[in-house]
Amino acid sequence: MELNNVKLVPDVGKDKLVDLYKQMWTIRFFEEKVDEFFAKGEIHGTTHLCVGQEASASGACAVIQEQDKITSTHRGHGHCIAKGADVNKMMAELFGRTTGYCKGKGGSMHIADVEKGNLGANGIVGGGIPLAVGSALTAHMKKQDYVTMCFFGDGASNEGSFHEALNLASIWNLPIVFICENNQYGMSGPVKDMVNVKDISERAQSYGFPGVKVDGNDIVEMMNTTHEAVENARSGNGPTLIEAKTYRWKGHSKSDAKKYRTREEEKEWKDKDPIKRFAGVLIEAGIFTEEESKSLRSEAKQAVEDSVDFAKEGPMPAHEDLLNDVYA
Amino acid sequence: MREITYSEAVREAMEQEMRKNDDVFILGEDIGVYGGAFGVTRGMIEEFGPERVRNTPISESGISGAAVGSALTGMRPIVELQFSDFITIAMDQMVNQAAKMRYMYGGKATVPMVLRTPSGSGTGAAAQHSQSLEAWVAHVPGLKVVQPSTAYDAKGLLKAAMDDDNPVVFYEHKVLYKTKSDVPEDQYSIPLGEADIKREGTDVTIVATAVMVHRALEAAEELEKEGISVEVVDPRTIVPLDEETIVQSVSKTGRVVVVHEAVKRGGVGGEIASMIAESDAFDYLDAPIQRLGALPVPVPYNPDLEKASVPQVPDIVQSVKKTLNKA
Amino acid sequence: MAKEVFMPKLSSTMEVGTLLQWLKEEGDPVEIGEPLFEIMTDKINIEVESYEEGVFLKKYYQVDDEIPVNAVIGYVGEENEEVPNEPPELADEEEPSEAGESAKEDEQPAAEQPVESATDKVRATPAARRVAWENNIELSSVSGSGPKSRVHEQDVIKAIDTNRATPLAEKIAADKGVDLSQIQGSGARGKVEKADVTGYAAAQTEPREEPERVKLKGLRKAVADKMLESTQSIPHVTLTSEIDMSQVIDVRKSLLPVIEKQTGYRLSYTEIIIKATAHVLGNHPKVNASLVGDEIVMNKDVNIGLAVAVENGLIVPSVPNADKKGLAELTEASKTLGLKARDGKLSPDEMSGSTFSISNLGMYAVDGFTPIINPPETAILGVGRIVEKPVIVDGSVEVRPMMVLSLSFDHRAIDGAPAAAFLTELKDRLENPYGLLV
Repeated sequence: MELNNVKLVPDVGKDKLVDLYKQMWTIRFFEEKVDEFFAKGEIHGTTHLCVGQEASASGACAVIQEQDKITSTHRGHGHCIAKGADVNKMMAELFGRTTGYCKGKGGSMHIADVEKGNLGANGIVGGGIPLAVGSALTAHMKKQDYVTMCFFGDGASNEGSFHEALNLASIWNLPIVFICENNQYGMSGPVKDMVNVKDISERAQSYGFPGVKVDGNDIVEMMNTTHEAVENARSGNGPTLIEAKTYRWKGHSKSDAKKYRTREEEKEWKDKDPIKRFAGVLIEAGIFTEEESKSLRSEAKQAVEDSVDFAKEGPMPAHEDLLNDVYA
Repeated sequence: MREITYSEAVREAMEQEMRKNDDVFILGEDIGVYGGAFGVTRGMIEEFGPERVRNTPISESGISGAAVGSALTGMRPIVELQFSDFITIAMDQMVNQAAKMRYMYGGKATVPMVLRTPSGSGTGAAAQHSQSLEAWVAHVPGLKVVQPSTAYDAKGLLKAAMDDDNPVVFYEHKVLYKTKSDVPEDQYSIPLGEADIKREGTDVTIVATAVMVHRALEAAEELEKEGISVEVVDPRTIVPLDEETIVQSVSKTGRVVVVHEAVKRGGVGGEIASMIAESDAFDYLDAPIQRLGALPVPVPYNPDLEKASVPQVPDIVQSVKKTLNKA
Repeated sequence: MAKEVFMPKLSSTMEVGTLLQWLKEEGDPVEIGEPLFEIMTDKINIEVESYEEGVFLKKYYQVDDEIPVNAVIGYVGEENEEVPNEPPELADEEEPSEAGESAKEDEQPAAEQPVESATDKVRATPAARRVAWENNIELSSVSGSGPKSRVHEQDVIKAIDTNRATPLAEKIAADKGVDLSQIQGSGARGKVEKADVTGYAAAQTEPREEPERVKLKGLRKAVADKMLESTQSIPHVTLTSEIDMSQVIDVRKSLLPVIEKQTGYRLSYTEIIIKATAHVLGNHPKVNASLVGDEIVMNKDVNIGLAVAVENGLIVPSVPNADKKGLAELTEASKTLGLKARDGKLSPDEMSGSTFSISNLGMYAVDGFTPIINPPETAILGVGRIVEKPVIVDGSVEVRPMMVLSLSFDHRAIDGAPAAAFLTELKDRLENPYGLLV
């Protein structure tokens, strides 16, 4: 399929593109809604929002199948939705209800849907990378046909677990795709101060497999690159490290004054809004009209509104259940 | 029944399970043709091949994390850490990932893995290769912690650990690897959370773990000559802890010495002592609870100092007598 | 400086002395030569006099304590002078030259004393505390064998044993090798005295045959439970009265052949007493009552329960409506019930429903006794034997057949006066049985 003179390599079909567009709005509205409820004090704890990064989550997950697995990060709501999670159960989890993905015991940083192949968000920076390697090891040992897609951020690429895991994946030639979402800041630390290579993707060279960088705000490019990496992994050609350059619009977490960056920089990135770019591409390619795009947007918004109702109706966990599930 | 060593018992438990269950595999540093730092996996790669006896780079964080991930997705891995001191490097994966995953995910995940690792002093390996850090992991809900003291216990407990759907930290003791006991050839399982009374007695209870079980038994022999009857209870698993057996024994004897090799400060002995003090055994205590553990010092290299830093038989004898006002 | 009062060595063999009594209290002025306390040695009892003058400052021991020779047992000195709270330990005999130094060391624990006394706590193990509590022993009275006098379980057990016996009894027990804990004391609060020990020791030397043991079960157990329940829950009062049975004997003599012919059963005194009792009960409904829960139930029927001894127990079948039956009918009823009872053929109906019971032991050499009420009934009549006695009748001594009746009643339901009125009327009825015909 050609989109604006760019060939879309994976054979996803027109309907899937429409769904992806709606999914990106769902992610954005979900994050905005969560932000709103945190501000109101109706959701407690902390949360890390991925507004502005929708293309990397949706684009990467668009090219994998239900049996494929992902590991996610503390900024994981987008990955969850992209891997097919039910926003109702996600919102219920944030409201701490038993109807949430983790029965109200995990919260924002620990949403997982193991059955759907989402091995979980992770509160430890870099903590999920060795887990993804383990998941890929299972596929390899059991000769199962799934690929593990491992999301992490630029900050995690400085953790020892990142380097150990990449090395293991390489020596064992595992079916895994590492996706580094470089959103330019590890909390307040600018990536240019914390990493002394031009691109994090270069780090793959140390471990003997390909590293590629991609415009993480361009979902088409994201899909093409990830597709190739996934196909390589699936056909036994080992891992790839993809660095998706993107930007988080909001602060690190709920209480971030963003003193470490300028409003001008933020505006520059907001102009590269991945959803608007995708809308433009799809309208121009005649996939849908502007009118249709607007109604998809409002459908997404409505789904998120409904998820709040669902969440609030869910029962609070009972104290009797406090000690359940510590051990199997 | 035939006698085999502790180290052979551990190997046999793994081999028998691996023959039965393809999901079980072992990964660790130098566990291939080298046979592991202490020779426990010797011969295994020849039988099971390099896929299932997976020789890894020196990456404790990576391999423990890979074990957690593979357990989460359907395998039943055994990680061998060369020295339990290295759990410091694997700690995030064990404590923040393995231990918590099931709870964090609302019960929708299981992490059936065993992390086997030799602990303890007595080999002259000094400060970074001689520690007993079991209290660290015992503190973390979600982990189980096993400390076998005999070859028989090692085989049965390892079988139970491999069958368990939770992450289990399995402490082997370096100086016990060569000790022998009667071990059945067939597979058998010793439930986690069942203490073993290694010697019955009436005057004083010693609760001892790992190598200290043997020192306690030696002390009991000596004390018997003086007419003091000592009961030696080996909890065998620290988590879950068989509180009932300990409480019953202490209620019977009214006196207790808790002894482990780990540093006394913050050690598991404090937990056991407190548990006793909180239990029904309190009203039967006829002397203050005694705790013995290593001195608060890194394990020294010099063999004499090394010995002096951890409890020895005369220390246990002395401590028992103290509870009887005879010291 | 306060002077020590110590346990004197009064003979070459004396190692300990037992404190029999203090003759001075703390704070009393003391003169030289005044008796301070009395002790018992292995040979004698003796009053010990003070070697010092001043104020008696401190006593460390209590009566019956065994105190080693030379142990400091108190202090005499100037008023308000400070002395240790605990007796100083005995100086080691082998190092007399260092006595001064060790005394110095002793001051260190003494310095800690005020803290301990401030809380007034006894150092004791949990086990010692439990045993002390179970045996109602004051821990402060127990001397501890542990470090810093910590009291252990064995110390308390020893204290229980030693507190149980007088020093003399203890000494005799020790001499005779008798275990004091086996002896029931006859003194105050069960204290074992000399006679208890000698008696026990003598008994021990008699040849003994092992007793046969029978398990409490079946009817025996039922009777046991019922008796215990009755005596534990019912405040019993027993009244007795002596009855002149002359006329009852006449009545029996004349009616016996008639009733025997009619029923085949021989009329006994029991039936006549039932008849009289049932009749009188009609006039005293309170005595024919039952106490059920918090209600007194005044029964309209008069059903007389008869205590019948059977093998291994006692059962109480009931003669219903005894007040409405003639002597022939009563004779037949009571005889058949008795037979059935012994054969174990009573129906449950026949064993229940009595409103008042009679227990007759007149066939034995029993004059009177205190019967136990058969709940929920509120009274029971005990019948003794008829025995000829000299009785004053109209100013002259006559021999009359006399019988004692014992009425036990439940004082919760009945007071003394109405019970006495009932017994008085019953006596009158039995002494004038023809009144029953009126």
